[in-house]
Amino acid sequence: MVTRNKDLQKTTESLLKKKDSQAPSKKPVSVPGDNPVIYPLDLPESDARLQTPAVGARATRPDGRLHGLGQTKYIDDMSFPHMIHAKILRSEYAHAKIISIDTSAAEAIPGVLATLVGDEIPVNTFGPTFQDQPVLADTIVRHKGDGVAAVAAVNEQIAADALEKIKVVYEPLEAVFDPQEALKDSAPKIHGDKTNIYTSKIIKKGDVEKGLAESDHIFQRQYSTQMVEHVPIEPHASIALWDGNGRVSVWSSLGRITLGREDLSRTLSLPQSKIRLIGTIVGGNFGGKNEITNEPILALLSKKTGRPVKCVFTRGDEFISSTIRHPFVMDYTTGVNNDGKIIARKIKLILDGGAYCSWTGTTIGKGSILAAGPYNIDNLFVESYAVYTNKTTTGAMRGFGAPQVCFAYESQMDEIAEKLGIDPLELRLKNAFTEGSASPTSQQLQSVVLKESLKQASDRFGWKEWKK
Amino acid sequence: MIKRGKGMACMWYPIGFTVAANASAATVKVNTDGTATVLTGTVETGQGALTVLGQIAAQTLGIATDDVHVVSADTDSTPMDTGAIASRTTYVTGNAIVLAAEKAREILFEAAAPLLNVRPEQLEAVDKKIRVLSFPDRFLPIDKVVAHAENTLGKPSIGSASYNPPTVEMDPETGQGKPFNAYVYATQIADVEVDDETGEVEVKKITAVHDCGTPINPMLVEGQIQGGISMGVGFALQEEILFKDGTQINPNLTNYIMPTSLDMPELEVELVDNYDPTGPFGAKGAGEPTAVPTAAAIMNAIYDAVGVRITNLPATAEKVLAAIQEKNKAVA
Repeated sequence: MVTRNKDLQKTTESLLKKKDSQAPSKKPVSVPGDNPVIYPLDLPESDARLQTPAVGARATRPDGRLHGLGQTKYIDDMSFPHMIHAKILRSEYAHAKIISIDTSAAEAIPGVLATLVGDEIPVNTFGPTFQDQPVLADTIVRHKGDGVAAVAAVNEQIAADALEKIKVVYEPLEAVFDPQEALKDSAPKIHGDKTNIYTSKIIKKGDVEKGLAESDHIFQRQYSTQMVEHVPIEPHASIALWDGNGRVSVWSSLGRITLGREDLSRTLSLPQSKIRLIGTIVGGNFGGKNEITNEPILALLSKKTGRPVKCVFTRGDEFISSTIRHPFVMDYTTGVNNDGKIIARKIKLILDGGAYCSWTGTTIGKGSILAAGPYNIDNLFVESYAVYTNKTTTGAMRGFGAPQVCFAYESQMDEIAEKLGIDPLELRLKNAFTEGSASPTSQQLQSVVLKESLKQASDRFGWKEWKK
Repeated sequence: MIKRGKGMACMWYPIGFTVAANASAATVKVNTDGTATVLTGTVETGQGALTVLGQIAAQTLGIATDDVHVVSADTDSTPMDTGAIASRTTYVTGNAIVLAAEKAREILFEAAAPLLNVRPEQLEAVDKKIRVLSFPDRFLPIDKVVAHAENTLGKPSIGSASYNPPTVEMDPETGQGKPFNAYVYATQIADVEVDDETGEVEVKKITAVHDCGTPINPMLVEGQIQGGISMGVGFALQEEILFKDGTQINPNLTNYIMPTSLDMPELEVELVDNYDPTGPFGAKGAGEPTAVPTAAAIMNAIYDAVGVRITNLPATAEKVLAAIQEKNKAVA
């Protein structure tokens, strides 16, 4: 991509010019402490926030000013007296048995207050669909992002140094990284000993084989997508405090605290009434912060040390140990008549499910239901399989499989349009859902404005007039 | 040579969980000065959800957005919520807040009715007033009604409620069923330039027209669309976690390339007029779908520009150039 240096320069110049005219009308106010307030305290409100009716108003956000001034407190900005810091040791192997973990040398380092391994966790499993994931791996590591031990120390540097002193003896196991390889009988099994397929979905409507046989044209193509990270500006972060009354408070970047508390209650074997989970202001989620990660570990380290314990993932932790988007391999076969009417569509989706299930159930569900596109197709067959691999756990990410299948169905729409000599807009309008259309699951759809969006976007873009 | 192309993609996307229950509960308390407090267990993840939820409460009570304070995300004080996931907050939590605010409002209608000599069902809450329907001159200021209800009648204006979208189980053999209660629709069109000597793709413009039902706050919907497009541009052209023998080789922001503000194209963002009768004031949702059609539109535009179909994302310069060279070889 081209960096538009000229544009940047222009913007900077115009900002510099405006500087004087935009100076605050009142003298900046400061208060003592490490967080000087640098703006006038009597806040002007936008009219949109003051108007009735409230719905439809372009109301500014109540948290916007602090964000703009860099004054918002994220977990990394929060501190408690006597707070200590935790770090988590990640696996050396993508697939291995853990023979032993020796933390004694780490514990001997001055400044290290506690360590934690998986078998100290009361219930060492979690997962939003099914509980196939250890909080800290204690018998088998299934990808290189698995945590195997944690250290709490007076500062992050000592905690990081201590990780290097932990001795883990592994017995490496054969690993599999490609989902199509993982489907084979000969592939090593990642959970159990039967198959690496851990969830599947079928959507069936009409008679796809008959529909394909009766179509004037058949289009066939395989599409595939990559693994991507959510890359929130704020990585996963939490602070846990196990207090003298036996109650644990956790401040977390988690996006769903009700279920987070259920997971904490389960993993810690502690009644929900003894757990307080506070969702802090989050610096980006995009689906990546929808399950617990380090929270039970920090709670137990706090219980061991009597101190508040904080852990902020490094960018590396964020990439390798938090969830990412599922790569899809998508086979599309579509039967179309000469006039552009889609008669039948047959789809097979293989999802790289990573080492643990996480939100794969939702991803395969939405991916399969949406796979045929927003089109009236009477004959449809979608089969989808999610497969374990010894790679980073794939989970929830903005769109749950929809960006992947949209890439496939919309690419194929353009291939069909070109071959039949129909404008891509017209081909879509011809097949598009309308009010009352039946979805692939035969649900009658309401408030459908697909054609309106196609026409409005084309008008706005100037689709018909556009010239190269 | 720089070649230009255009490409479109449309999509549909559901609101909420697939069949599974995903309830939200909410509590709305009206204060004696006519302001209000909302308790919700959802989490603000940067999208402006708390602003939208405050607007929904304000609309139900006939007060302004600024009159509502939203307390969120503390299991000690806020009711259960399935959370900031599945583009469900405006729709599901929003519906729970409407129901809770209606209960609080009902207490005000019952308190005001005898004072206005009408029945409670003849009242509405608008412009910070409890007002007789079709008779705008007869009203009481909302703060006076709240204070009367709480301090004279001993009936504070508080309501709690929950909402869960109705669904129908999917048949395990055929997948037939009603997995979601609402869907949204959208179209994005990309204008790109492709350098056929380097394979480099520059997205010049994206026109995005999205449906979210009623936009509770059009500015925040536009923000979601702009953010979603940036994620879509990264998915289309740049972002990829690379592995060697199970080890990520680019787990850092030096080697994992994603769009910065300087990579963003010109954006034309519009909303389609729509109203969904099942949503709060006709609203559905806007979070995830904004990122869905971008990559597809860009790939179709690349094909229009240089005649190569990228079937494996991302369309890095190397991949596009290799495809162009292969095409040229085939032609020669």
